[in-house]
Amino acid sequence: MIETQSLGKTYGRGLYALRDLNLKVDRGEFAFLTGPSGAGKSTLLRLLLLEESPTEGEVLVAGRNLSHLTRDEIQAYRRTVGFVFQDFKLIPTKTIFENVSFVQRVLGRPVEEQRRNTYQVLKWVGLQHRLNALPQELSGGEQQRVAIARALVNEPHLVLADEPTGNLDPDLSLEIMNLFRDMNARGTTVLVATHDRELIKWVGRRVIQLDHGQMVGAAEPQA
Amino acid sequence: MTVVGYALEEAWLSLRRSGRSALVSIGTIAIAFTTLGGFLLISVNVQDVLDRWLQAAEMSIYLHDTASEPDRLALEQFLRTQPMVAEVEYVSRERALERFRNDFPELRDVTTGIGENPFPSAFEVRLRAGNGGDAEADSLSSEVAGKPGVSDIRYDRRWLARLVGIVTTARLAAALVAGILMLGAAFTVAAVVRLSLYARRDELEIMQLVGAPFTYIRGPFIMEGLLLGGIGAAVALVAIAILYSMLARWLGSDLAGFAGIGQLRFLGIAEFVMMLLGGVGVGAAAGTVASRAVR
Repeated sequence: MIETQSLGKTYGRGLYALRDLNLKVDRGEFAFLTGPSGAGKSTLLRLLLLEESPTEGEVLVAGRNLSHLTRDEIQAYRRTVGFVFQDFKLIPTKTIFENVSFVQRVLGRPVEEQRRNTYQVLKWVGLQHRLNALPQELSGGEQQRVAIARALVNEPHLVLADEPTGNLDPDLSLEIMNLFRDMNARGTTVLVATHDRELIKWVGRRVIQLDHGQMVGAAEPQA
Repeated sequence: MTVVGYALEEAWLSLRRSGRSALVSIGTIAIAFTTLGGFLLISVNVQDVLDRWLQAAEMSIYLHDTASEPDRLALEQFLRTQPMVAEVEYVSRERALERFRNDFPELRDVTTGIGENPFPSAFEVRLRAGNGGDAEADSLSSEVAGKPGVSDIRYDRRWLARLVGIVTTARLAAALVAGILMLGAAFTVAAVVRLSLYARRDELEIMQLVGAPFTYIRGPFIMEGLLLGGIGAAVALVAIAILYSMLARWLGSDLAGFAGIGQLRFLGIAEFVMMLLGGVGVGAAAGTVASRAVR
């Protein structure tokens, strides 16, 4: 599903964020991306979301090289990927229902379908009773569940998450991880960047370890 | 329709949020378009007056009191055969006096006191508009001047042509002023749109990250400019209508009487639509330019 070939990203003069990175995440896999701060986890996710372009090498997602996409193609590609951010990135002036239904709306889906899908996905994350609340009226865990609902509403084949539990307490973190496990069980490829070792241990999936922009280890699922 | 509906919804919300700055922008557009509309209104009425005067432009050929009947008939015959002459009317000395008395009844006594009829007989010649224009009229005038019995020739179109020249220059100056005001209005709209763009920068970032098409991202800002321009132009049209009705009530009959036209004319449907579309266009263009900041 995801493949990087000799991927490199530098900032300024020779400051490597990623260096000669070759990794693969298979279709339907759930993998963690881990490493200390500055290891290059977020940079890799930014490259996968095309927020930035690589300095060297290639990124392929579902067999498609992301290097030569036009501005409109980038937007179309992003609509096929679900993304969950540490700081939730919800639109504060829209209700949670609108935050989620918006990504359906821009696909031009019929209104009835938008409503049905939005309701179903918010029900799946357990927020069907807060449809008209504004993001700031929700707890951190609830806001992250809205963000997950938004990432999933278009039924993407790939979900990327950058420190999705970084702002949450341990119990809420487990709750969020359960949602990722559930979506993976439905066939979605999931790549989660986190430095929370306990969480990784608890979920027990493949771990890709980065340090100073290079892959320094890959551990198979733990029990 | 989905994009347009979304853009309209978001633009309306944004206008309501921006409050005072949106009002300032609408006000600026309204002032620019009221000025433009005012110029347009004056222009159509001045054009009416000029058309009327140009249509009524006559060449008056005055005859000597001693002009003989054959000379008069020959001159009349000559005039009737000229292609640029539309109409010829002979006004005898008696008819000229009678016409004066009818037109200026308060001066009737003056004419009775003189004793002898002071008015010369004349041919009043109406010329066809267009074709050869003034050059042809000049040549006719000099040819007629050499005919026996002719004492003087007066031709209205010469000063009318000068007046048309002045009006055209004034129109160009007015268009320039309106253009400058319009440019100012466009900059104000662009500034307001840029402000709302800045206020919604987080939202825009999120929209980009979830893959919203650029039509969805920029559409609301273009629509915001369009609404500001359209509302501004509509306000201007209402203001012009009110000003016109006040002016028509207080001065209308005097002005119309002076100008020799039936009554003052308001803007037609075409001018109305043109101004509204102009407002919408200026606003949309300003919104488009401002929204290009989103990349």
